Amino acid sequence: MLVFDHVSKSFGDLRAVDDLSFEVEAGEVFGLLGPNGAGKTTAINMAVGLLEPDEGVVRFADEAFDRDPRDAENRRSLGLAPQSIALYEQIGGADNLRFFGRLHGLRGSDLEERVVACLDFADLTDVGKKVVSKYSGGMKRRLNLAVAIIHDPELVLLDEPTVGVDPQSRNAIFERVEQLRDAGKQVVYTTHYMEEAQRLCDRVAIIDRGRLMALDTVPALIEVHGGPGNLVVRTGDSESRHETTDPLGTLAELQARQAVDHFQYLPPDLETVFLNLTGRALRD
Amino acid sequence: MNKIVAMAAKDIHILFRDKLGFFFTVFFPLMMAIFFGAMFAGLSRGPANIPIALVDQDRTAASERFIERLGQASGLAVEQIPGEEALEQVRRGRTAVLVTLTPGFGAALDNPFVTTPEVEMTVDPTQFAVAGMVRGVLLEAAGAELQDLMSDPARLGAANSQNSLFFESLPPSDARDQMLTFLDLSPRVSSLIDEMGLGAATGGNQGFFGPPLEIEQTEVQAERPGPTNSYATSFAQAMLWTLIGGSVSFSMSIAIERSRGTLMRLLVAPITARHLLAAKGLACLGATLFTSSALITLGITVFDVRPTSYPLLALALLCGSICFCGIMMALSVIGGTEQAAAGIGWGLSLPLSMLGGGMVPLFLMPEWMQRLANISPMKWTLMAYEGAIWRGFTLNEMLLPCTVLVAIGVVAFTLGARRLRWDTG
Ligand SMILES: Nc1ncnc2c1ncn2[C@@H]1O[C@H](COP(=O)(O)OP(=O)(O)OP(=O)(O)O)[C@@H](O)[C@H]1O
Ligand SMILES: [Mg+2]
Repeated sequence: MLVFDHVSKSFGDLRAVDDLSFEVEAGEVFGLLGPNGAGKTTAINMAVGLLEPDEGVVRFADEAFDRDPRDAENRRSLGLAPQSIALYEQIGGADNLRFFGRLHGLRGSDLEERVVACLDFADLTDVGKKVVSKYSGGMKRRLNLAVAIIHDPELVLLDEPTVGVDPQSRNAIFERVEQLRDAGKQVVYTTHYMEEAQRLCDRVAIIDRGRLMALDTVPALIEVHGGPGNLVVRTGDSESRHETTDPLGTLAELQARQAVDHFQYLPPDLETVFLNLTGRALRD
Repeated sequence: MNKIVAMAAKDIHILFRDKLGFFFTVFFPLMMAIFFGAMFAGLSRGPANIPIALVDQDRTAASERFIERLGQASGLAVEQIPGEEALEQVRRGRTAVLVTLTPGFGAALDNPFVTTPEVEMTVDPTQFAVAGMVRGVLLEAAGAELQDLMSDPARLGAANSQNSLFFESLPPSDARDQMLTFLDLSPRVSSLIDEMGLGAATGGNQGFFGPPLEIEQTEVQAERPGPTNSYATSFAQAMLWTLIGGSVSFSMSIAIERSRGTLMRLLVAPITARHLLAAKGLACLGATLFTSSALITLGITVFDVRPTSYPLLALALLCGSICFCGIMMALSVIGGTEQAAAGIGWGLSLPLSMLGGGMVPLFLMPEWMQRLANISPMKWTLMAYEGAIWRGFTLNEMLLPCTVLVAIGVVAFTLGARRLRWDTG
């Protein structure tokens, strides 16, 4: 179980992560949702021990153990897929997996079994021998993820794993993440795509400027922070939009005034929650 | 250890996959070796002044006169050196030919009727053309000596009376008497020829005698190794270039790991910084040892380079690689990005290599430059390589360059490793 306990981290004057606390359970996909520069990657880097918190503690703990992520021993049980693709482009996909597997102490038939399993996981079995520089963006993303799990870690951290991929690859990645959850792993998933968080994450932490704005399941977040939905009504050539928490009542009111040709109700979603919590001002 | 080896193997794998890196570590040095080897081979056969070393063991007025005559001959640059240094000169390849005037040379020159003057010539067997030319100049000078002698009645008379005394001391016989009559007449030979107006036609009196000079030629290679061929020098330089190429490539590889994000992956893996450093060092050592050994193997098998000592060659290869892997680590600290690492790497390597004899052999440089070259690790590398390839160093002589190389390597590696940036951005 990954625990963030009142963690802060600054770069000079900039407070990249500010008093962040959360816990990730086994068998859960935990979403870190935030705009650019919110501090998602900084939080991930502290979770894997690449950065040291200025304040607070990051722990990897359960009944049996309580470890600091900077402890090399602990790193066996975590796997990271960095935000920018981190692979050796000049060698094959299988060789990348083999190399990182060896670094994690795998050898012989155990190693080969894992390489085969991870190639299959990333749908790259046919191109395992091909050098990575010849891969498409989607293939590299999938391999970037597969390398993170070559040693079958307990905790998998995926930092924006779907950037720059087509809908097919994105869907494949979603399915793989669900597969990891079903296998009882803890998954930390950062993104600024709402629909990803909505589809995949059991719980979502919305962060902005390093601060935790809200943390709950998606339905609960919408319930609390979603606000009214939108009723879109068309009459002839004109279209109007009406905020409402009672779409049927509002529709009846509108129809009483004039005939409605067409209508659509847009319930509040995670994006509404996100914009409500983080505002509409541009970041970075 | 398994992890270190895995990381090192990956780096070497990547180096040889990278076409540009491969070019700089293998093909570029190889092309330099062939180019400079061919160029110097051509030069040394050319008609430019051929440097020859000369030892005068005779030290008579006659031998000095002969040396002066040689000095005036076109095409030779005669450097007279003390006997003890002669071997060293040839060994260091400063001269292709060594001429020795042995005791008795002057006496024979003044009186060539009994003993033909004789010189010893020690040559590099690969420089036959040069040796032939020097031979010609020596014969020409001896011929001119003889002509002078024959046209100088005083000197001729002195020689004759010396010879007459000698023959008179022998037991009487017909042959002895005829010889004495001949000696009696011979001082007048040239004046008789002149009287008949035949001086120019016969070219003096040379025709009466055999060759004016005996040249005893020994090949230098057996006891006194010189650069057996010009490829011996150029392959040593090529091996140096492969070290430079390898160290620059590896110093870039750390920056590349950082910029491509794989450094982050390595740091997240259950290994320590020490593992990482050891792996980089090992990979660099393995790759440079491999490429430099491959080059010299090619030199030996294809270009007939004949190392004087294989164990010392192995030692030189190892020490050179250690030095440049240390430099690699230091370079990777100075250059944070791959462009910076490459720029600084080549920017420093080129002038230091030129200074250290990596392009033009050191012995062709002026004295002060040779002294300044001591600051260049490239100089020491070449010294070690050449010491084992053709200078015929002893283990003792090899110790100096090897110690300097290992010291530079260890210091540079330690400094570099200490200051390496471990952040991933
Ligand atoms: N090494 C660093 N030095 C200085 N500032 C940094 C460093 N790393 C991150 N920052 C700053 O900290 C803030 C948080 O960055 P972080 O990368 O964690 O954001 P993020 O949520 O991952 O953003 P994105 O969605 O763009 O990846 C940003 O303002 C960033 O500029
Ligand atoms: Mg980020």
